[in-house]
Amino acid sequence: MKTKLALLLSAPFLLAATSAVQAQDYPTKNIQIIVPYSAGGGGDTVARIVADRLGEELGQQINVVNREGAGGEIGIDEIARSDADGYTLGVFGYPDNFVLEHTRDTSFTFESFDYLAAFDDMPMGVFASPNSQYSTLEALVSYGQERPGELIIGESGALGLLHALAFAERSEMQITPIRYSGGGELMNALLGNHIDLASTSSMSHDPIVGSNGKPIGFAAEERMEMFPDVPTFKEQGLDLVMGVSRVLVAPTGLPDDIREALITALDAISTNEAMMANFENAAIPYRYLDDSAVNEMLEQSNNVLMPVIENNLDQINGN
Amino acid sequence: MDIVSILLNLFTPSVFLVVFAGVLVGIVVGAIPGLNGAIGISLLLPLTFTMEPQTGLLLLGGIYMGGMYGGSITAILINVPGDVVAAPVAMEGYPLTQQGRAKEALYYSIFSSMFGGFIGVLVLILFTPPLARFALQFGPAEMFFVSLSGLIIVGALSGSVLKAAFAVLLGLFISTVGVDLITGSERFTFDNIDLRSGISVVPVVLGLFCFAEMFLNIGKKPGEQVQYRDQTISRMTVVKDILKQRFLVWKSGLIGTVVGLLPGVGTTLAVFMSYGDAKRVSRRNIPFEQGNPDGIIAAESANNATVGSSMVPLLALGVPGSPTSAIIAGALVIHGIVLGPSLFVSRPDIAFTFLYGMLLTVVAMTIIGAVGIKYFSYILKIKMEYIVPTVLVFALFGAYSLRNSLFDVFIAILLGIVGAIFKKIHVPLAPIIIGVVLGPLIETNLARAMRIASARNMPLWEYLMATPLSKGLVALVVIMLIVVIRMRHKEKVAAKGVKNA
Repeated sequence: MKTKLALLLSAPFLLAATSAVQAQDYPTKNIQIIVPYSAGGGGDTVARIVADRLGEELGQQINVVNREGAGGEIGIDEIARSDADGYTLGVFGYPDNFVLEHTRDTSFTFESFDYLAAFDDMPMGVFASPNSQYSTLEALVSYGQERPGELIIGESGALGLLHALAFAERSEMQITPIRYSGGGELMNALLGNHIDLASTSSMSHDPIVGSNGKPIGFAAEERMEMFPDVPTFKEQGLDLVMGVSRVLVAPTGLPDDIREALITALDAISTNEAMMANFENAAIPYRYLDDSAVNEMLEQSNNVLMPVIENNLDQINGN
Repeated sequence: MDIVSILLNLFTPSVFLVVFAGVLVGIVVGAIPGLNGAIGISLLLPLTFTMEPQTGLLLLGGIYMGGMYGGSITAILINVPGDVVAAPVAMEGYPLTQQGRAKEALYYSIFSSMFGGFIGVLVLILFTPPLARFALQFGPAEMFFVSLSGLIIVGALSGSVLKAAFAVLLGLFISTVGVDLITGSERFTFDNIDLRSGISVVPVVLGLFCFAEMFLNIGKKPGEQVQYRDQTISRMTVVKDILKQRFLVWKSGLIGTVVGLLPGVGTTLAVFMSYGDAKRVSRRNIPFEQGNPDGIIAAESANNATVGSSMVPLLALGVPGSPTSAIIAGALVIHGIVLGPSLFVSRPDIAFTFLYGMLLTVVAMTIIGAVGIKYFSYILKIKMEYIVPTVLVFALFGAYSLRNSLFDVFIAILLGIVGAIFKKIHVPLAPIIIGVVLGPLIETNLARAMRIASARNMPLWEYLMATPLSKGLVALVVIMLIVVIRMRHKEKVAAKGVKNA
């Protein structure tokens, strides 16, 4: 009887002890990574490449779950709501979460996530249609300033629109943005000369240029290694740096030891050559930032984006 | 890249194995309500990362091809289309099953799929560059008119015009729920995050066609169910009959090919267009929706033809023409293959092996389908009380798996109840689907046209009619309207004649 009582009384402590052991053993079961976009896109590709290597490193299977909808809002919301136990992670393209947070009534905020690493740095760019009369920024701007509101720029997604608006604002042009539901549709419209310009990421460079579309410039700090012929906006005198960076996040509140285990594993795979080759094959510019570097980068970027969002809020919401 | 080395690349055991496996997976996911080729492809996508690019691509291509066919099996046998594109097949195939001619319907479906598949892939092999340029001609104005002509198809389906109009309006209404793509404004969302992302077509189809059918079966006494007989028919009889309708096969295949080219318009429109057209031209003395094989021939040759053609803009321009080909594009990119005009120059080995390999997927589909039909029709020997719960489980799973969303499951069940009621009061269900698919296309393209017209300082009508292509499409819309009205009129006269006699 006494021993039973003793066992009962000590049960909570025993349970606590076992859970501590479990945390040290993390992970003991499959992990899932939520991707708020459909399969096959850039964000999904990054998630799958990373899931593969990270799963090997941690010794557990990592499943990628696509949870698309409402421009990424549904999936990002679900990541924020999941248990912070290390078994549900998320990969999305920053600044999708930031733009959504400040343009819609979302239930997540920037602080809902623990940003563990970033894997790429893909600048946005502006491309002109094959029939256009301009192929440099200077020619484009003088053409556009003479015809306020007549230039039509296509975009697909919140960042695409933001970039288009910032581009117009800084080059002092009035242009008309038009939304497309995906990168494919947008490219079709540009290459068919139905629109004048497209605001999209550097990932679209090859198919657009392959069909005689013209790259006007990238919103990058310096020229991209992959595309050394395309100038940056900066070197053409336009101060605009904007891009997407796929981040691996967990919901805020991870236990310290699990966070440590994840960060160590991420650092370990960050120099894996097979993984880097996968990125290169997929035309995604690889750039690894560990947990402290990524937070620094995001903070700086938030400060750049915030005024652009505020200045164009009415355009973003009701254009 | 000469033909011999392409063949050498293709005729290896591993390629054969992969193609057959892909097609088989495609047929299975296609037949399961709610799952379709796109889902099958995203499931097996990671598997291809470790394969040779052309082998991996053919695996995905096989799933795509098989998935287009698979949906018709359950459509014919238990009146549950496995996929949107099989809805017209259910309308003609299930009545045949009720008449004890399930095998015949299945043969029509597989051999029409084969002809359609070959047409689409041959077009892909022979005409990719010019067709890709043609597809680029379609801007907002042209897309608007194409989608509009799709809506007119509704008038050609049988039943009361008023009820069909109600159904299509309901479909259009469903499509407005969510964040409007062009303006970003929220419509009928009631601050609900799930409603904000809109109601997607898969749960709608599952609800209306699958849940509704199963709900109607619940509570039936065993005796009330159809007593299935299994009439034997030889494959050659069916093939010969299809060949007699070769004009219909070609036309449906070409409708599938052309509409399949257009990004975003999709297979659904192509299938309903050729089905509506078959109804107009059929010379058989069998009314539609009572088991006219021409409906199956048209729908199945059209949907398998879109497989090849939706890859035309993908391979030639890097622009995916359908959700499925978008995922295939993702797989190509991971293999470091740059899509677009340079593909045929930089990696001809992969491009041509894939193109010719797609012919192999058609062959594999035909073999699996033609041999499997004997086994598929065993489904009919299963008692309805086992089929209903099984199908419901798969359908629940299918509704959930599309976006991993319980909301979609809820929508599917709700529309299942609505669909069951509509079936009782004879409101046709197909127009609802047409409305859901075409509503956003018509609306967003008109909105884009308006914005472009105002930016270019021209009246909207002038922009809409600016190109010869759009003028031609306007003519097409008008002609279709006249044809449908005349067809309706004839039916009315015929019905009166029957009454008087």
